[in-house]
Amino acid sequence: MFRKTALATGLLLALGGTGAQAQQRQGFTFWYGLTGQLSEAVQSVCKRFNESQAQYSVTCTSQGDYARALQNTIAAFRANEQPTVVQVYDVGTADLMLAEVYRPARELMASQGHQVNWNNYLPPIAAYYATSKGEMLSFPFNSSTAVMYWNRAAGQKAGIDQPPATWEQVADAARKMKSAGQACPIALDFDSWAMFEQFAAIHDLPIATRANGYGGLDAEYVFNQGLMKQHFNNLLGWYKEGLIQIRTAQSGKDVIASFAAGDCAMTFGSIASHTTIRRTAAQGLDWTPVMLPIYEGSKRINSRVGGASLWTLKGRPEGEYKAAAAFFAFLATPDSEEYWSTITGYIPVTATGQSRLEQSGFYNKPENAGREVAMQSLLLTEPTENSRGLRLGNMTQFRAAYANEMQAAFAGQKTMDQALAALQAQGNQLLRRFEQTYRGKQLP
Amino acid sequence: MSNTRRALFRSAWLPWALVLPQLLIIFVFFYWPTGEALYWAFTLEQPWGGGNAWVGWQNFAAVFSSEGYWHSVRISILYAASTTALAIGAALLLAMFVDREVKGSRGYRLAMIWPYAIAAPAIGIIFRFVFDPRSGVFAFLNQAAPGLWDPTLNGDHAMTMLVLAGAWQLVSYNFVFLLAGLQSIPRGLVEAAAMDGAGPLRRMRDLQAPLLAPTLFFLVIINMTDSFTHSFALVDVMTGGGPARSTDLMVYKIYSDGFKGLDYSGAAAQSIVLMLLVVGMTFLQFRFVERKLHYK
Amino acid sequence: MVERRPLLNLATHLLLGFGLLCLLLPIWLAFIAATQDVAGANAVPMRWLPGPHLLDNLAAAWTRADLGARFTTSMIVALGVMAGKVGLAMLAAFAIVFFDWRAKAVVFWLVFVTLMLPLEVRIVPTYVVAANALRPFQAILDITGLTGLVETLSGVRVALEWRMLNSYTGLILPLVATATGTFLYRQFFMTIPEELVEAARMDGAGPLRFLRDVLLPLSRTNMAALATIMFVYAWNQYLWPLLVTTEPQRSTVMVELSRLVPRGDGLPEWNIVMAAALTVMLPPLAVVVLMQRWFVRGLVATEK
Repeated sequence: MFRKTALATGLLLALGGTGAQAQQRQGFTFWYGLTGQLSEAVQSVCKRFNESQAQYSVTCTSQGDYARALQNTIAAFRANEQPTVVQVYDVGTADLMLAEVYRPARELMASQGHQVNWNNYLPPIAAYYATSKGEMLSFPFNSSTAVMYWNRAAGQKAGIDQPPATWEQVADAARKMKSAGQACPIALDFDSWAMFEQFAAIHDLPIATRANGYGGLDAEYVFNQGLMKQHFNNLLGWYKEGLIQIRTAQSGKDVIASFAAGDCAMTFGSIASHTTIRRTAAQGLDWTPVMLPIYEGSKRINSRVGGASLWTLKGRPEGEYKAAAAFFAFLATPDSEEYWSTITGYIPVTATGQSRLEQSGFYNKPENAGREVAMQSLLLTEPTENSRGLRLGNMTQFRAAYANEMQAAFAGQKTMDQALAALQAQGNQLLRRFEQTYRGKQLP
Repeated sequence: MSNTRRALFRSAWLPWALVLPQLLIIFVFFYWPTGEALYWAFTLEQPWGGGNAWVGWQNFAAVFSSEGYWHSVRISILYAASTTALAIGAALLLAMFVDREVKGSRGYRLAMIWPYAIAAPAIGIIFRFVFDPRSGVFAFLNQAAPGLWDPTLNGDHAMTMLVLAGAWQLVSYNFVFLLAGLQSIPRGLVEAAAMDGAGPLRRMRDLQAPLLAPTLFFLVIINMTDSFTHSFALVDVMTGGGPARSTDLMVYKIYSDGFKGLDYSGAAAQSIVLMLLVVGMTFLQFRFVERKLHYK
Repeated sequence: MVERRPLLNLATHLLLGFGLLCLLLPIWLAFIAATQDVAGANAVPMRWLPGPHLLDNLAAAWTRADLGARFTTSMIVALGVMAGKVGLAMLAAFAIVFFDWRAKAVVFWLVFVTLMLPLEVRIVPTYVVAANALRPFQAILDITGLTGLVETLSGVRVALEWRMLNSYTGLILPLVATATGTFLYRQFFMTIPEELVEAARMDGAGPLRFLRDVLLPLSRTNMAALATIMFVYAWNQYLWPLLVTTEPQRSTVMVELSRLVPRGDGLPEWNIVMAAALTVMLPPLAVVVLMQRWFVRGLVATEK
């Protein structure tokens, strides 16, 4: 009788044992800020990781858009319920660096026994997520840069065979298109990333002092001068001339949708939209991405990386860091990079990933036509202080202020000069508030 | 409270026992968190919880000296007042006519109630379609006169769009209450008035509307507070506060400054001001309006 | 109908017809979008007649957002909020209106003020509380020095903890902490003739019996209305469930719906989003349609 019970218990234990073994895969959580199709792409990457090995498993959760993912993570961190890994967008980098809530990428990988060749990360990408001394704190994940999208057919109809490389040519092309019957030559929105931040980068113009904030929290905005000022006045002039139309999601079609539908012949945006345009383009749309235009007389330098990186947060059980490190190692393999670039419009972040794409004929496939432009633009020169990145606090609010001031100027409530001056003043208030909040702290 | 009733129960402990569950829940999930926000309003709180520094009234001073903030207060009041007026006016009109019980009024009734079930974000998304300047109804207008309608650049248009969507959302809600109120008016009373020669429109004005006063009062308060406090989802989906801050309503500003912009302290100061404002307004309505109501 | 007035009837139909058009047009457009393919849903000018893709879109929405499992979660949350609100608010309003009670004005305002600051605005501190619902009490014990006192007396360190994240209680309770219901009951209770209370007292009925035998039957329509409001309110909640459920298998339909709408660098597949939106709308719609017979017709049936 006793033996029977013991046997039964043993059986139960054994059963429990197999159950436990199945669960023994060390899990960890990963929160990200992408929705819709891109969210599905992240989910498929997570699935690939879980199927690639039997030791670890990742649970990936979309938290809405970038801003919401960050804010949910902060709320969770304050309640001690944070995820192990979180995706934070480029402009959130300064906030994270100061908060000291993360485990630095290098330290994490070393502590888990992973050998990582940090020089393998492409310099302009690494520079954005590294300290002023060059140590990468987070892992670049979905990376992109800004390009101009050009409708070849619309250009040819107006007698232009080559996509414009300068703003002068852009204006000229737009005028010819207009007279050839193109109602909307250029689609523009109020997103600061392509038109403002990337413009400053490729023209080697500073947005703020102290090397765009890399040098310290006392940086001040200084964009309101010279070519920047001229450029925004030009944009407004072209808008009044009917060369530019404002296309935002609020008005039904954003710039990318307007371009894909063939309504507008030129627009500016992330290379990640390449896939979107290809999938949604009107029948027979003949288009290509080209480098962002530059003003005549300026020397073009590299454009800046955009997108988001993966941060590892403190305060989780040690086993989860082991799993997270394995996940990062998995993401950095050429296979993973190729897969990610194939299912999205993002670019590879390492040199090996990039050469894999080149060797496998990725860029020669018709569906990827023109995507190499992003890499050329990004790797054009060594990053300078002005093209390396932005390390400015409260950037989310600054971007919102940019949109509002531009709207005021384009709606005719203010002159462009007034709008830019107001933007600079508001930006500096935001920087001072950020400095005061983190008084006594230093950027790493 | 203005209405003192004479016939009441007395007990030392029973009323406390009855309200205790409700009080416990609101203490834990409302007053405690709000208290924490109040504390933040006097500090500069680091978003990740790394500490804070006491700054006294600095956050309030910053809020009150900001032109954008006063703009936000003005348009919030404008939004709340227009939405409430439009939603209650339209609902009252519809309810009174449905109450006339013409042929098919059951169908009308059903059709007018069910939009209430639709979530605010969905309404926002749908209205964005409807008011798109380049397609749908307004595309025709814009073809006739270019630039006639453009909520993406014209702040007044954006505000109009928001008010319409906000009111649309509330009409069904108000309709339900007003129709229930109308139908609870004894038929005999209406018939008597009809026999006295009062026409239907006159009856609506002189008999039914006054009898609806308590319901109307309830709806005004709920609509006002709702427009002030629950406009978040609509703004978020439809305009994002733009163009040029023309729809940056107070609650959306708090959300975007605080949780998008990670300025917890500034947002906390703003939310305290918002709360005081709405409490003050409601208190005044109780003092001056409810006193004149007849609850029987 | 009290009398015949053909002209006014015509006007009534016109007015109601116009109202109907305004209320239903947006829904119609959503339905149209749900029947198109991606290109059709984004077409300019917008289409007015349904296309052939409704079933495909519904199927895509159903599998993508895992709606089957999500419906169960949402249903439990919505019913929980509904039951909590209808019950608790009634008790509170009963105490506030029918008792001669010194603190009642204060209690009423304490409850009422919760209408003034929506969850969106105080979401971060509320989340911290949801991670440990007993935190306020712990803090009170700490501040008043009781923790230390107990520790010295008994050697036990008081550490209160009740984690609510990823649980139904965490989804439900914070949504119950508002005053709409209490206010609605109060408005209704105020219209109840005092004679009823007097009569009850003369019959020797205590307050609880009065509540059960008189108030409860009288409030049926109001309860139905409140239940409907609360069900819809809870079902349509988005920001709170998004935050409080970090495990995908715990999230609600609204959260999944919002995940379908891309922000940033993606193009919305409006056809699928709208199909999902229509599907998700069905339960609250059913509740509204079913309950409306109750709360609109109910009062009249008693024919005073």
